[in-house]
Amino acid sequence: MQAVRSGEVGKLELLFDRHHRGLFHYFLHVTSNSAVSEDLVQEVFFRILKYRHTYQTGTAVRPWMYQIGRNALIDHVGRNKGEVALPEGAAEIGSPEAPPDRQAQNNQEAALLKRALRAMPREKREVIVMSRFLELKYEEIATVLNCEVGTVKVRVHRALRELGDRFFALRGERAS
Amino acid sequence: MMCERVREQLPECLAGKLDKAERERVIGHLESCSACRNELAELGIVWRGLESMAVPEPNRAMRTRFIEMMEAYQAGMEQAPPKRAEPPAETSRRRWLAWWPSQPAWQIAIASALLIAGVVAGRYEAGAPKEMSPEMAQLKGQVEGLRQLVALSLLQAQSPSDRLRGVSFSSQIARPDADVEQSLLRAVNHDPNVNVRLSAVDAIEKYAGDPAVRRVLVDSVAVQDSPLVQCALIDLLVEVNDRDSAPALRKLAQDGQVDEVVRQRATLAMHKLEVTK
Repeated sequence: MQAVRSGEVGKLELLFDRHHRGLFHYFLHVTSNSAVSEDLVQEVFFRILKYRHTYQTGTAVRPWMYQIGRNALIDHVGRNKGEVALPEGAAEIGSPEAPPDRQAQNNQEAALLKRALRAMPREKREVIVMSRFLELKYEEIATVLNCEVGTVKVRVHRALRELGDRFFALRGERAS
Repeated sequence: MMCERVREQLPECLAGKLDKAERERVIGHLESCSACRNELAELGIVWRGLESMAVPEPNRAMRTRFIEMMEAYQAGMEQAPPKRAEPPAETSRRRWLAWWPSQPAWQIAIASALLIAGVVAGRYEAGAPKEMSPEMAQLKGQVEGLRQLVALSLLQAQSPSDRLRGVSFSSQIARPDADVEQSLLRAVNHDPNVNVRLSAVDAIEKYAGDPAVRRVLVDSVAVQDSPLVQCALIDLLVEVNDRDSAPALRKLAQDGQVDEVVRQRATLAMHKLEVTK
């Protein structure tokens, strides 16, 4: 990123190869729309080019990049006034190695979990995505969300707890 | 150890991110607290369940779009007034390809114009007087007109990448043109893509000598939904030293509904405009 900041914009290709998949998954989990997610990834890299001078030398690239991504997402949500639901079949669920009966059960449970995740507010869904799917460190999430590490701990726990409540309610094991 | 604190550490525990001492403290608490053990069991089901939710891989065309966007951006940068060192031959070639319109009609029109230009330029060099001949002047006008048409056509395209190229193409037009100016202002105000709006803000700078254009830009700051575009517009107003925009900027800086970064930028802009008085 330091090279890109100094004007070697061709080096952005390396950053794209390294991070576009993670960014795409972040957007896909939050927006549930592949086309929108691909557009948002393009937008992130365009903004990196345009605002590369705002990158502070010596700081981690990933949180800075996800901060840009989050701003792009907020702009998108603001323009579209609403959140798109996860399309059915957007995710391939279940391990191919599992036996058929076990796989059927996995599929059913994963479908319920997907429904539960879909019903979560965007802010809660995104901390789950960042901590579980992107495996960002809490310090990195704190930078992206512009809050304290302690706040991230609380938010991740509460979001996971709420996801669990919704999931077990869908399984009929708890009142919704 | 308080249950609440232990529960906040359970996601890290499930992710294997706790250090040894913390993990032992959590385990020590779990041995004596059945409620926290239940919590860990439930969160564990959810945590492992999330792992099975694979997501599709991004489309390979994304990379092509990225390269196209980067080349368009580089081409735009190279058109900018502060010239940098000459780009390598390969980059230069790709930049020209990025400019080349995709519609066959435009390709034929530009190729014909270039052919005529070659013939006329040859005759001109062979013995014409040093002043520009009427043929040459007419041809220059035709090429300029073609550039305008291509820029206008691309600015109305469906694809954001094409519109982005249209904005960059408009920067090549030497003579200010009212239609291009209006198209760029429309892009600044109404284009659904933030990238196109940001580029249009850059491209409109050469028209910002006109007070009417500056008024449209000032009005646009308040209605933009993207803080980035708002900041770019404010920077442009400072760049062209538009002191008349100070009241609008002050209003923006005091509006609690406006993004904080934008308010700070507006305040800074007011100060800069004050200093240059």
